[in-house]
Amino acid sequence: MVNEIFAKFHEVATSPRAQMDKYIAEGKKVVLTAPVYTPGEIIHSMGFVPMGAWGGDVQLDKAKEYCPAFLCSIAQSILELGMDGVYDGASALVIPSLCDTLKTLGQNWKYAVKGIPFIPMTYPQNRKPDYGVKFTRAGYERVIKDLEAIGGVFDNAALAESCKIYNKHNEVMRKVDEVIAKHPEVTAVQRSDVFKSAFFMSAEEHTALVEELIAELEKTPAGEADMGIVVSGILTDAPQLNEIFDEMGMHIVADDVAAQSRQYRTDVPCGDDALQAMAEKFKAMDNCSVLYDVEKKRVQLIADTAKARGAKGVVVVMTKFCDPEEFDYPIIKRVCEAAGIPVALVEVDRQMVQFEQIRTNLETFRDMLSM
Amino acid sequence: MAEEVKKTPRPVDPNSAKYKLGKIASDAYVDAIEAKKQGKPVVWISSNFPVEIPETLGLATVYPENQAAGIAARGAGQRMCEVAEADGYSNDICAYARISLAYAKLRECPEQEVAMPDALLCCNNICNCMIKWYENLALDLNIPLIMLDIPFNPDYDPTPEIVEYVGAQFWDAVHQLEDIFNIKWDDEKFKEVTGFSCTASRAWLDATSEACHIPSPFNGFDLLNHMAVMVTARGKAEAGEAMNVLLKEYKENHATGKSTFREEEKYRIMFEGIACWPYLRVTSRGLRDRGINMVTTIYADAFGFDYNSFDEMIAAYCSVPNSINLEKSRDKRIKLCKANHVEGLLIHNNRSCKLWSGFMAEMGRQVGAECGIPVAHFDGDQADPRNFSEAQYNTRVEGLMEIMEANK
Repeated sequence: MVNEIFAKFHEVATSPRAQMDKYIAEGKKVVLTAPVYTPGEIIHSMGFVPMGAWGGDVQLDKAKEYCPAFLCSIAQSILELGMDGVYDGASALVIPSLCDTLKTLGQNWKYAVKGIPFIPMTYPQNRKPDYGVKFTRAGYERVIKDLEAIGGVFDNAALAESCKIYNKHNEVMRKVDEVIAKHPEVTAVQRSDVFKSAFFMSAEEHTALVEELIAELEKTPAGEADMGIVVSGILTDAPQLNEIFDEMGMHIVADDVAAQSRQYRTDVPCGDDALQAMAEKFKAMDNCSVLYDVEKKRVQLIADTAKARGAKGVVVVMTKFCDPEEFDYPIIKRVCEAAGIPVALVEVDRQMVQFEQIRTNLETFRDMLSM
Repeated sequence: MAEEVKKTPRPVDPNSAKYKLGKIASDAYVDAIEAKKQGKPVVWISSNFPVEIPETLGLATVYPENQAAGIAARGAGQRMCEVAEADGYSNDICAYARISLAYAKLRECPEQEVAMPDALLCCNNICNCMIKWYENLALDLNIPLIMLDIPFNPDYDPTPEIVEYVGAQFWDAVHQLEDIFNIKWDDEKFKEVTGFSCTASRAWLDATSEACHIPSPFNGFDLLNHMAVMVTARGKAEAGEAMNVLLKEYKENHATGKSTFREEEKYRIMFEGIACWPYLRVTSRGLRDRGINMVTTIYADAFGFDYNSFDEMIAAYCSVPNSINLEKSRDKRIKLCKANHVEGLLIHNNRSCKLWSGFMAEMGRQVGAECGIPVAHFDGDQADPRNFSEAQYNTRVEGLMEIMEANK
């Protein structure tokens, strides 16, 4: 049974286009959501199916007409897929301005991909003070206006309902992370599928499937990983990377990955004004390289999580050319090592076909952790 | 790469704009070091942070971007970058940031010493990279960071919401600094500083617009040096005075048929992007030797902080080159190209600056099409010498020149 559930996650994670076609065939409109954070609750409440657009493992060709080689491959591959028609049928693409490359992605998208409107989401970095919350709300109102232009209808009560659905999804995603940590038989590939599929399914469907998985896993006794690791980075969905983790006997007991747990750490608070509650949610968000934090709480969270989950080491999976992560890495290394937690750095991008350097790196890291 | 031949610099007339502007730029470093010795507060500040704040509060300022450019121009860019890289910083990170973080660690660099800061003033209207850089500085130096967030504007003009958000942060920053340093804001002083800033900005805009004449009364590479004053001292009275001297000189040059461009001006181009400071002479000579004058850059527009009200001032800070959308960026370039009779566009794909380079290909195409001019790109870096090839630069400039010649 558990294998059937994992097979379903795998199927969805590896065939997003089929998922999109399914929703469109059902008469639904799909709105693409770019990294790192987008207001899925709002998009959902307005009658659209939000689908993650985090690029794909493709060779870059057309995107090079727009992007210099030193932009991150996630953004470049989103543009490449758009230009290749892979996203055809989508009603819009929402891109937040949370890093410099994302700012340029939206500008290039307007000219490179006709037929799929670009909807900007401008978040404040000073998100905690009242003026920051007000500006977040203004950003959401702008998104709502743009979604209305493509047929969406905004309603506060509907948003409140969507917030509940998303909070429930957050809850089960946090739970499945905890459960998988205690089930070393779950592979890194399977764990990746659970998280990645969330971008391609409606929140309700994904929640139901994850709950099934949790129930099945909890039927078997919890175990302890011989070599638990915490993985940190923006994106860790490369199958070859996860296969290497599995080959090395490394079990992911927690993650600090933008495309995984960072998405589910913060719930929308309760409140009559659902849109205001959404802005309050962003105010409460932290522990991420693209969210301003002079205290760098994210770094301590990685070290604390590693300790709490009994991880033997931290693997930082660096998406090449990702400034925000590259700036945090020296601090992560410093803080973790001071806490007695070894750190390995591996670099990935969406064009990688040879993972042997990573294998060598992780083999050495495994040997080090085994000593 | 060719060896740079060092020549003894010609003496500079102390009444000239070049002397006055150079003195203002160098005095800024000296003044901050002196302030530090006297126990007065020093702040490190990003280039497009509202200078009106530290100037009104009387805080001595150091501009790490300016320092990094100076260090790179004097040949120490790679050495400092490697210090940061040894600490785990990727060599893909902005070279200014790497140099600055290295300086924060070493606290010395003979190529450009600065006073160490008591607080950091960060504004991300030029890039979000700035946020990460200053977060790390704050952590390493254990000092307060005042962060003024000016988001990238996807719309053409600043919205009332952005202006309100940034305006609120302006006063928040003021109050934080008052608390940190136990100092008081003075509205009269603020009014005076805004006057200086506007005067300097207007003179800068007027001086740079003298390039509309054929031939231009100046070599555009002059602007790369003079703009240091607009970065570091535009809120000071002497900046406006020196800029007005510059304007006067350019007018006189035009009237008397002179120019600081020493060759016959055969072609006129716009240079796009931050200068390759480690190769300033190489990039300048590659143009000058071919009779190509860089008559304008976006810097001509970038420091035009001319405003009549508080909200207009905030809107100006929301409209600096890296905080505006492609269409507005494009239109600013088109305006400069047309006003200055530009015949070609040379774009620096700056490895250090993802934001500036990220939509340059499309914007370059649109500017080229609208102005009917050829566009050439070259790869380089503002401060890391490892990312520039003189041969490629010369080949691209040669190609651009050939098309400009064919278009005549």
